[in-house]
Amino acid sequence: MTALILQSLYSGLLSGGSYALIALGLALVFGTMKIINLAHGEMVLLSAYMAYVMENRLAVNPLLATPLALVVACLIAVVVYFLVSRISRNRELNSLILTFGIGIILTNAALIIWSADIHSTSAPGFQEPVVLGPLYSMRSELGFFVASMVLVAALWWWLSRSWYGRAVRAVSSNRDAAKLMGINPHRTEVVSFVVAGILASVAGVAIYSTGVIQPALGASLTTKAFIITVLAGIGSIPGVLVGAVLIGVVEALTVTLYSSAIQELTGMALFLLVLFVLPNGLFGAARRRG
Amino acid sequence: MLRLDAITVQFGGLTAVKGVSLSIGAQEVVGLVGPNGAGKTTLFNAISGLVRPTAGRASFEEADILKAPMYKRARMGIGRTFQIPQPMHELTVRQNLLVAQRFGAGRVDEAKVDEILSFLHLSDKADRDAATELSLSELKALEVGKALATDPRLLLLDEVLAGLETASKRSFMKTLTELHARYRISILIIEHDIETISNLCPRVCVLNYGQLIADGTPQEVFSDPEVIRSYTGGGHD
Amino acid sequence: MRVRVLIPLLVIVLYGVVPFALAGNNYVMSILVAALIIAGVALAWALLGNLGGMVSFGHAAFFGVGSYISAIVTMKLGVPVFAAMLLGGAGAAVAAVAVLPALRLSGPYFALAVLAYAHIFKILATEFTTITGGAGGILGIPTLPRVLGYDFGSKVGGYLVIVTIVLLFALVYARIRNSYYGYALRAMHDSEDATRVVGVHSTLLKALMLFLSAFMTGVVGAFNAHCINFLEPDYAFSSGWTMLPVVAAIFGGYRTLTGPLVGAVVVYTVDQLVFKSLIPSGHQIIFGVLLGVMILFAPDGLIPLLAKKLQWVRQPRGCRDPRTESVC
Repeated sequence: MTALILQSLYSGLLSGGSYALIALGLALVFGTMKIINLAHGEMVLLSAYMAYVMENRLAVNPLLATPLALVVACLIAVVVYFLVSRISRNRELNSLILTFGIGIILTNAALIIWSADIHSTSAPGFQEPVVLGPLYSMRSELGFFVASMVLVAALWWWLSRSWYGRAVRAVSSNRDAAKLMGINPHRTEVVSFVVAGILASVAGVAIYSTGVIQPALGASLTTKAFIITVLAGIGSIPGVLVGAVLIGVVEALTVTLYSSAIQELTGMALFLLVLFVLPNGLFGAARRRG
Repeated sequence: MLRLDAITVQFGGLTAVKGVSLSIGAQEVVGLVGPNGAGKTTLFNAISGLVRPTAGRASFEEADILKAPMYKRARMGIGRTFQIPQPMHELTVRQNLLVAQRFGAGRVDEAKVDEILSFLHLSDKADRDAATELSLSELKALEVGKALATDPRLLLLDEVLAGLETASKRSFMKTLTELHARYRISILIIEHDIETISNLCPRVCVLNYGQLIADGTPQEVFSDPEVIRSYTGGGHD
Repeated sequence: MRVRVLIPLLVIVLYGVVPFALAGNNYVMSILVAALIIAGVALAWALLGNLGGMVSFGHAAFFGVGSYISAIVTMKLGVPVFAAMLLGGAGAAVAAVAVLPALRLSGPYFALAVLAYAHIFKILATEFTTITGGAGGILGIPTLPRVLGYDFGSKVGGYLVIVTIVLLFALVYARIRNSYYGYALRAMHDSEDATRVVGVHSTLLKALMLFLSAFMTGVVGAFNAHCINFLEPDYAFSSGWTMLPVVAAIFGGYRTLTGPLVGAVVVYTVDQLVFKSLIPSGHQIIFGVLLGVMILFAPDGLIPLLAKKLQWVRQPRGCRDPRTESVC
């Protein structure tokens, strides 16, 4: 039993890597533009399908799809940004409905092009076991976990060091003050969308390489990413990381101890619990009133 | 009727109101002055329920009000206006007053609403959209009208005269004087202009850095060296 | 005056003309019934959005709860179908109690919290196999009964029931909107503090709208269960029961009374008759396009747009009155 639990903690940790990439993109866009992009999961979904296309149509290693996925995800990100920025009033709620619509379009486009079938990789070497003491994983799982952590570290470095990163953080915390300091908020918004696209593309290739994909996956990834940002509290990279791993672990434990049918239930329940008990998230600072 | 006992309001590390004790009698008119950022509006917010004081007690007509939510305090008889007028959107001027009366006073009396409208010179605008079709002085009058429609026994007026041009300011001041005579209610009014406050209020309280530093007749208060220092020494924003 | 002419005319058409004109065409009739089911949910969704100021992505939860409760109480407890439909609505309203804590969340958080509830209810329906039959579903749910010799279980009978339900809901909605509660609720969107400071218990009013919206959605869900006589969790809690009403309400204009109804009938029939045959799998792509186009080019929806156009024709000298829009 202990071995089983230990194993699911490990598997959960590994799947938390790509969850973190998806959630960070969503949080970055929410931070700069104060909108929740409900088509975010679909960017990941289409990136995953790019990997599928590369493997099945061109017979190459799905990893090589990353540049293509990058282009597709960033293209979607820029289009979403362009459309959302055209909303003139009540942007908070109208953007929600608009991106909900874009999500419907992308999901159904995937359905029309690739049908509702489930796909997974059969590339050589991906499923080979890697054993670390009592813990087991596929080679692709471990590889992508390491890659995600590198990417998260790079994002953290970029946000704290580079000019753009500072601008993004300045716009997140106070848009008007940022404007006065000579920061162009529109440029920062585009950049945050593009970065979200980059993270989504890697996450998409990772999800195809380590699991199964189907058109309905996009919407559930968006929900999961939103849950993670709520768990994390706004504006905390370590928080998102912990939230992502937490969701991964909780899901893995539920599958091990109960059944895969209620895998999503525990994540949702955790989400509602945090939402009502700790409205600022597990790691968010208490916000000042007035 | 209103009794504040060592009210303190803190936001994070900032203390906006520090241990203010104050009581206001029935039908009394009291001016509340002080430099910008002295905590006047925060004190209003604490009385009307928009913010929760970190410490202290407050009662209105012998009833503890601090536990009551904002809407209940309005029903108990505390009416207030906002410095930046907050008309109810999507409603006409008359509907604004009717909603205030229906929920704040718990009854609908259209004759009373019409009477308030004509008293505040809003009768011509009664069927205009409140949020988009009024001038600033009309919006300020609507603020007072909404508060009056709730049948208040204490009215908190937050800079209702600020930003008005001289002519409308003068006529509005006249209205306020009449208001007190007509509705026989207590009024606590925030106002920057010392001359205005001296004309309107027999009693003035001064806040500085969140503390009550003076309380008395306008003559007493405005000759108090500490009050003069707080004004000339510069406010803090 | 226009309204006084239109309403009796509408009633005559809906009860007198449509049933006889389409009585022989079962296919069109069942599409119309399905469209009215969407219209009922769209109206309930728009009531929550317009009066409560809340956008929900989880109305499927109330739809599913209503349909399951009605099905179960008719089959296990022998409750008559029409009473069971009311119980279904009541059950959905009770389920909405679980959503109450979400009321204090701001816009997007509320919308997605309700989505989470919809997921949870679906999983619960799948897992509580003893009551709900689990993933296998419930078969043989009783049809609408025969009353005074008239068979409401027939296609036309079902149509008459759902038309009545939707019209009653619209009437209730209109009555609330034009009451002091409606005024206060509408004012709360842009100026919540302004309403609370004059004594409006805004949270209570919002909660009441949530209950009412859930009740309406539950009743419509229950009607649907007795119409198709079969339920399974993936169907009863399908995200389609959220998506279609949202599309219908946004298309027609969610801040008007007629918008969601017209929107539902237009969107659903066009989808079924045109797009479903063009793109059998993935035809819902058109809903996404519609949402995008409406939000970007006509965020008020079709009905206000038409009203504006008509007014333009009648009064070419551009004396538009923004308040007339609320008559729609």
